[in-house]
Amino acid sequence: MGMTRISRTLLWALALSAVPAALHAEPFKLEGAPSPALVIFSQKNDGGWSQSLDEARVKVEKELGLTIPVVENVPENATAIRPAVELLIDRGANIIIGSAFGYSDTFLELAKQYPNVAFINPAGTTNAANLQSIYGRTYESQYLCGMAAGAISKTGKLGFVAANPFGLVNWTVNAYALGAQKVNPNATVTVVFTGAWNDPVKERAATEALIEQGIDVIGQHVDSPTPQIVAEEKGVYGTGHHRDLGEFSKATQCSSVWVWDRYLAPTITKIAAGEWEPGPYGAFLSIKEGGTDIALSGDAVPEDMKKQIMDERQAIVDGKKQVYAGPLSDRDGKERVKAGEVLSDADLWGMDWYVKGVISQQ
Amino acid sequence: MDFVVNWLANVPGFAVPFALAALGLIICEKAGVLNLGAEGYMLVGAMAGAGVMLSLDVHPLAALAVSALAAGLLSLLFALLVIALRVNQVISGLVIVFFAQGLTALIATSQGWTNRAFSGLQDLNFGVLSSLPGVGRIVFQQDLMVYLTIVIFAVVVHVLRATHVGMRLRAVGENPEAADAAGVPVGWYRTGAVVVGCMLIGLAGGYLSVAVSKIWVDGMSGGRGWIAIALVIFARWQPWPALAGAVLFGCIEALIPRMAAIGLQLPQYFVLMLPYVVTLAVMVWTSLSANRRSGQPAALGQPFVREERR
Repeated sequence: MGMTRISRTLLWALALSAVPAALHAEPFKLEGAPSPALVIFSQKNDGGWSQSLDEARVKVEKELGLTIPVVENVPENATAIRPAVELLIDRGANIIIGSAFGYSDTFLELAKQYPNVAFINPAGTTNAANLQSIYGRTYESQYLCGMAAGAISKTGKLGFVAANPFGLVNWTVNAYALGAQKVNPNATVTVVFTGAWNDPVKERAATEALIEQGIDVIGQHVDSPTPQIVAEEKGVYGTGHHRDLGEFSKATQCSSVWVWDRYLAPTITKIAAGEWEPGPYGAFLSIKEGGTDIALSGDAVPEDMKKQIMDERQAIVDGKKQVYAGPLSDRDGKERVKAGEVLSDADLWGMDWYVKGVISQQ
Repeated sequence: MDFVVNWLANVPGFAVPFALAALGLIICEKAGVLNLGAEGYMLVGAMAGAGVMLSLDVHPLAALAVSALAAGLLSLLFALLVIALRVNQVISGLVIVFFAQGLTALIATSQGWTNRAFSGLQDLNFGVLSSLPGVGRIVFQQDLMVYLTIVIFAVVVHVLRATHVGMRLRAVGENPEAADAAGVPVGWYRTGAVVVGCMLIGLAGGYLSVAVSKIWVDGMSGGRGWIAIALVIFARWQPWPALAGAVLFGCIEALIPRMAAIGLQLPQYFVLMLPYVVTLAVMVWTSLSANRRSGQPAALGQPFVREERR
């Protein structure tokens, strides 16, 4: 997804300001029984983002008793997306599930052209009466991973390997620090941005550089499991993103994981029942709504700590805990969230500041 | 002091792929074949090396040999296009990149190689030398390929400069008509240069996966093939300056994450931009200096057709 993710924030901001509020007058009506199909921009077994969608597809198939075809390697441009989607519709699919920011515009065109077909696009930015873009509140799960990291770090110095500094990456970095500081108030998070989503050479160098500085837990928000693998080699711990990276590395103790099935299964049921009303701003899924969750995979986190993390998770689900609740200041002392308030979604997507304890380049 | 040692000790990991790829390109281009497919050959090499490491129980050097062979095999297609069929070299090179991106993703995915870690090429230990403070870590704790790279450079420089084969190869790149008149088989020399050059580029890619990252990820060459192409221009098609350029790039690339890890407050995007600013600066400097065309093979990019009027 590379570059495309960089501009996602921008387009979210545009989507937030430009879409008329009266977009969804009445619920979407599906003709016939639901027949979903998944269109993936890369390989379905990429070990991360796309694989999480494909795994959700299999779970939804079981849960709803459906057969959901999948098309892989459909690049993020209209000339590739359109024929793939139209072929699926010709064959009877009436719920098209995408997988990429780069599908946003084409999905909007297709949604207008096929008003009887429902479109759902993870990481997308466009919405319509029959199109919903979805993304997860990954800061909730990364906050819980941060708690695990804070608990197992001996030095209190955590590291984080991330792709590019913009809203949806910055909110995982800050949440990671806040989670760690919940357990160890003096914990710091040093971030290295590699400038790439999938460059194992840079990820390895970043992880090694962090460990050279005495850091003993490595968090991440890049697409490959390389930071976790290096952490295992060097005998330190780590936390993962996208999927349970314990699959690739013994170092991984906790991962922020996508759980799309928990959103897709009830949503498909809703679509079939004629109760689906996609909002003008898409769906921004919390743990409760089924976008993201955690997997506590390792045995380094003590049992009582695991319980504390799961209790905190429950508090987030119950709405008693907000990761970005005020009063909250950035590392330069400027107040970012007032006491009694919670950071707005628009401010989340535009987050360009770091909390105290985050050490990074500007 | 630790900072400097850690930094310099990590330079070869970044420098070797640039150096080998640039050297491979120099060989192709000295023979007059413009090769823009470096990124593709690196990918093929990286994937082949990782595939061997994951599926066969062999020494990493054998995996690297397969990296070179795989890229050499793919280069036969390129040679067929640009030398036998005389297709435009720029377009053919670019096609190879896209073809390799798709091919490597397809093979690695179907074989389940993506994201799987393996042990890879390990650093050598020279006993006392390796435990010298500072110098030991920087100079005597590298993997075998780091030392072999210098040997490969020496061999290529010798062959290009001081042997009949090298002289004919350069003649083919400078003036294929004259070379042809002198009885040099232009097509075969170019084919040989392409295959050998691309094998070195494949080796560079193999080094990325087998020795540096010890993992295969789709598209993992990450633009390094393009940087190698720029390196060749800024080294004016000369091997040793290309090696120096590769080391310079390695120094910057190894420095970037370490500056971040010690919490140095520098603008993120400025730092990520640095290697490319250096590329631009050196290329501008190269083209402004007096003898700017020296080094570029005169027949670079031109297909050879016997007895064709120009």
